[in-house]
Amino acid sequence: MAPNMTTSAACAGDTGAALPPPRDLSDIFVPAMRIHKKSAFKSVMGDPTSTMINMAGGVPHPNTFPILQLQAKVVSPTSRQDKALSPSTANLVLDKSQKNRSTESLDELLQYGAGSGVDSYCDFLKRYTQIVHNPRYADWGVIASCGNTDAIGKAVSLFCEAGDSLLVEKWTFPGALSSLVAAKVQPLAVEMDGEGMDPESLDNICSRWAGPKPLRAMYLVPTGQNPTGATMSLERRQKIYAVACKHNLAIIEDDPYYFLQFAPFSASRSLENAVGAAGLLDVDSGEQQQVDPLVPSLLSLDTEGRVIRLDSFSKILAPNLRCGWITAPSYILDKLQILNESTILQPSGLAQGLISKLLNDTWGLEGWNQHLRNLRATYTFRRNVFVRMVDLHVAGLVDYVLPSAGMFLWMKINLGPDAAEAMPRLLETMKKCGVMMAPGAPFYSSGSSGSNSSSSDCYLRAAFALVDVAMFEPALKRLAQAIVAIRETADYPSAVQNTHTCNVPNAMQKGLLSPAPGKMTISS
Amino acid sequence: MPSKPHSKDLSDLFSEVTKLRKNSPLKSLQKYMDADPTIVSLGAGLPHPDTFPFVSIGSTVAEAGVSVTDSSVAAKAISVSSKQPTAKIEGLERFLQYGNGRGVPSYTRFVQEHTERVHSPLYEDWDVVVSAGNTDAFTKAIALFYQSGDTLIVDEWTYPAAIETVRPMGIRLEPVKMDSEGMVPSELDHLCTTWDRPETAPRLVYMVPTAQNPTGATMSLARRHDIYSVAQKHNLVIIEDDPYYYLQLGSYKPLAEANDPEDRYKNLPGITSLTPSLLSIDIDGRVIRLDSFSKILAPGLRCGWITAPKYITDKIQFHNETSIQQPAGFSQAIVSKLMNEAWGHVGWEKHLVQTQRQYAERRDMFVDICQSYLKGKVEFTIPTAGMFLWLRVLLNETASKRKGVMGEIFESMLNNHVLLVPGYMFSPLGQTEEVLDKPYMRAAFSYAAESSFEVAISRLAQALEPFTCRNI
Repeated sequence: MAPNMTTSAACAGDTGAALPPPRDLSDIFVPAMRIHKKSAFKSVMGDPTSTMINMAGGVPHPNTFPILQLQAKVVSPTSRQDKALSPSTANLVLDKSQKNRSTESLDELLQYGAGSGVDSYCDFLKRYTQIVHNPRYADWGVIASCGNTDAIGKAVSLFCEAGDSLLVEKWTFPGALSSLVAAKVQPLAVEMDGEGMDPESLDNICSRWAGPKPLRAMYLVPTGQNPTGATMSLERRQKIYAVACKHNLAIIEDDPYYFLQFAPFSASRSLENAVGAAGLLDVDSGEQQQVDPLVPSLLSLDTEGRVIRLDSFSKILAPNLRCGWITAPSYILDKLQILNESTILQPSGLAQGLISKLLNDTWGLEGWNQHLRNLRATYTFRRNVFVRMVDLHVAGLVDYVLPSAGMFLWMKINLGPDAAEAMPRLLETMKKCGVMMAPGAPFYSSGSSGSNSSSSDCYLRAAFALVDVAMFEPALKRLAQAIVAIRETADYPSAVQNTHTCNVPNAMQKGLLSPAPGKMTISS
Repeated sequence: MPSKPHSKDLSDLFSEVTKLRKNSPLKSLQKYMDADPTIVSLGAGLPHPDTFPFVSIGSTVAEAGVSVTDSSVAAKAISVSSKQPTAKIEGLERFLQYGNGRGVPSYTRFVQEHTERVHSPLYEDWDVVVSAGNTDAFTKAIALFYQSGDTLIVDEWTYPAAIETVRPMGIRLEPVKMDSEGMVPSELDHLCTTWDRPETAPRLVYMVPTAQNPTGATMSLARRHDIYSVAQKHNLVIIEDDPYYYLQLGSYKPLAEANDPEDRYKNLPGITSLTPSLLSIDIDGRVIRLDSFSKILAPGLRCGWITAPKYITDKIQFHNETSIQQPAGFSQAIVSKLMNEAWGHVGWEKHLVQTQRQYAERRDMFVDICQSYLKGKVEFTIPTAGMFLWLRVLLNETASKRKGVMGEIFESMLNNHVLLVPGYMFSPLGQTEEVLDKPYMRAAFSYAAESSFEVAISRLAQALEPFTCRNI
C-alpha cells in the first residue's frame, strides 16, 4: 500500500497556481535518518498483480478473524438551537467483507496494513487539513499516528540524536521532556510570555549557540499551550516562523488543542451566551466564515516545508482512541512511515476504521464541524466560569494568563524569597484544604529535577475540562485559603484543619482579594 | 502450596535511560485523589467523558470455536456502553479516557489470568503490561537493556522488523547457527564463552521459539531447557517473541494416509498439550515474553501483552507512558468483552483449537503439494507450528557456482507469477555477497487461497527447474 500522498496539482490552493516544492531539510536530519531505508522486505511484496500468487506475506487469512461486524452508536452533533430536541444518536456499522461506503471492509481494517495508516482515514484527514490549513507548498501529505506523545518522539528523532539539543518552550509538556531524556536529547529552554514562545529569545539563543553540533529543530505547542494555556497570535506565529527560517530549523508543531479555541472571554455564565459569541470555524466547501476564525496554524504559514504538524483526536474525540495524524512534506512522511513500520506498525485498524466511517459518512464534514463547534462552546463556557471564579476568589493572590484555547489556566504565586521551600508547603496545605492542582516543576524544561529554585515564583496549572463546573468556586476558594495560610501564618500547620473548612485568616477579611484579573508575563 | 521464589534482580543490566524512567509526576497525583474523593483535583489534563461522542461500541463475533468459513456462522452480539460497566468490564468511557501505561484493568486482568493458566510462571513477582503488538513490544524490550554500541544475539535467520529496528539504534547483531529446531545451544554457549571483550559482552538474546520467522522451526522442550541453561550460565536476558505459540499444529500426516479430517485433527494440542514456553521454565525471571493477538484474533487490533518480573514491566509501563500510552481503547474493549464475558477462558481455548485446525489443514495440504511437485528441487523441515515453510533450494552443480544465482531464481519466480521471500531478507548480517547467494526462501501458507496452492507450487517448480535439475 503506497503512502497517502496526492500530487501537488490535486492540492494546490485556491489560486490554482502550482505550489513550490518544500525546501529539502535532509541536510539537518541526523545521520542515521539519512541512511534510513524503506523496508527491503516490504518492497518484495511490491504490488502483486492478479495473476501473482502471493506466498510471501506472513499474514493470517481473514477467515481466521472471528469479528464479523463492528458497530458503534454515536451522538449526532446538533447545534444548540436544536437543544429543545433530545439528543439523537446514529449507528455506524462496519461489515466484514464488504466495503463500507467510504471505508474499507472490516477484514481489511483487521489485517496488517502499511505504516502510513488506513487509506480512507488518511484521505479524510488530508482533505480536512487542506481545508483548514491550506498548505503553501507542494508534495505534502498526512500519515496516521497513535497520538501526539508517540509522534513527538518520532519527529524529534529525525533531527536530534543523543547529545543534541532541542529548542523547547521554557514550560512544556512533560511527556515530551521524558521523551527527550530517554533519547539523551537536551531540552534548550526558550523564554515565554503571555503568548507563548518569545521570538527574540529564540533568535538570541540560536545566534549565540556555540555547542558542538548545530541546532536543528524546535518543539512548541502554539495553541492552548500545556501548561501555560498561552495561545500565539498570528503575528507571533509569523515572527517565530521567520526566526526558524533564519536559523534553518525544523518546527515540530504539537497542536492537540487547536480546535478548542474559544470565543472572546465573557464573564457571563450562560452557555447560550458563550455559544452566541463563539462564531467559530464554519467550514462549508472550503470557505471560512470570519466570525471568530481559528488562529492560523504554523503549518498554514509554512512556505518552506519546515513544519511537522502533529494533530490528535485525543481532545476532540477521545484520548484512548490512540489516533492522530502527522502532516509534513512527503519525503519526511516516508521516514516517519519507516519508523512506524519498525515500532507500532500503525494505529489500531478498528479505531481508524470507526473514525473514518464517522467522519467520512455518519457525520460527514458538516457533522464533524458541528461537533467541533459544540466542543468549542463547551470549553468556552468552562473557561468563562473558571476565570470568573479566579477573579472573584484568587485574583489578588495570583497572576494568571487568560486562556483563549485549551483546558489550562496557569497561575503564578509569589511565596516569598524561598519558593523551593514554600512550594511543597503550599501543595500540602492545598491538599489539606481539599484542592489539588499540578505544580509547575514537572513542566519546567531547564532544571534537572525541574525545580525553578532561583525564582521567587511558584506556578500552578489548573485544568478546567474535567471537574464539574459547580466545583470551580469551592476549589478556588480553597486555593485562596491555602495561599493565604502559607503567606500569613508562620505556624501554618496549626492554622489548617484537614476538614476542607480552613480557618480564614484575618488577611482575607482585610480585602486582599480584589476582583481585577491580573495579566501576567511568564518570565523568571 | 510452597511459595514461589522471587526473581533474580537483573536491574544492573538496565540501560542508563531505563534506570531514569519513572512514574510520570502528573500521573502520580492520582494517588491523592483516590485517597480522598472529597479533594477537588484540577491537576489532570483530562477531557470530560461527556465530550466523547461514543455511546457504545459493539461487535458480532463468532461463537467460540466456530469456523468463520461455514455458510452460516453461529454468532453473538457483544457491546460495551458508556457509563454502563458490568461486573467484569468497565464502561466504555473508561476505555476511551487517558489511563496509565499498564493497560485497562479488565484487559490486563484477563491476560494475566490466561498467562497463569497456560504458563504458570515459576517466580512470584511476575506481572503483565500492554503492548501495541510484538513489534512495539520488541522495541520496548530492547530499550530496557540496550543503547548504541551494544550487541544483540539473534538467530542466523530472523524477523526483518527486528533487524530494521535495531540497526538505526546503533545496535550490532550477532547471529547464532540454527538447526531444524532453532538456535543451537552449543553455538550460543561458544559465542558467549569466546567473546573477547568483557565490557561489550552481549546481555540479551532474541528468539522466536515457536514456528520461528522465517525458518518455521519449533524448539522442543529439551531444546528450550538447553537454551535456558546457557542463558543462565552467561546471565543473559531472553526475549521470547512468541506470536505463533498457540498455532502449534501437531505432526503432519500425508493426506493419503488419513483422509478423515475429524480423525486427522482430533489431537490438536489446544491449550493443554502445547510445548511449554520459555517463560514456564523461567526460574530466574530472565525471560521477557512477548504475546500478541495478531495471529490469534486479528493483526489490526494492534494489541498484545508482555510478561516479565514486575520491576521490569513497571519500566515498560513508564516507557509506554512516554510513547504509545496504551493500545487503542476500542481494541482493548472488544478483546476484554470477548475474553471476559462472551467467550471466557473456555471459549477462548475453543477458538484457539479452531484456529489450530485451520492452520493444520493448510499446513498438511501445502506440505503434500510441495512434496509432490518439488521433489529433488528443494528440501525442508516440515513445520509443526505456525505459517512458514523454509525451503532450501537444491542447486545443481553449475547453478551453485554462479554468483547472483538466487537473484536469477527470484526473477524467474516473478516471471512465473509466484511470490516467495528470498532468504537474504532475513539475514542479520545484511545483504552481503555471501548472504545473497544462500539458497533459501520462505513460503507462507497462511494467506493464499488453499485452492491456489497447487498452481503456486507448480509455478515454483517451473521457476526452479533450470537451476535444480541434475545435468545429465
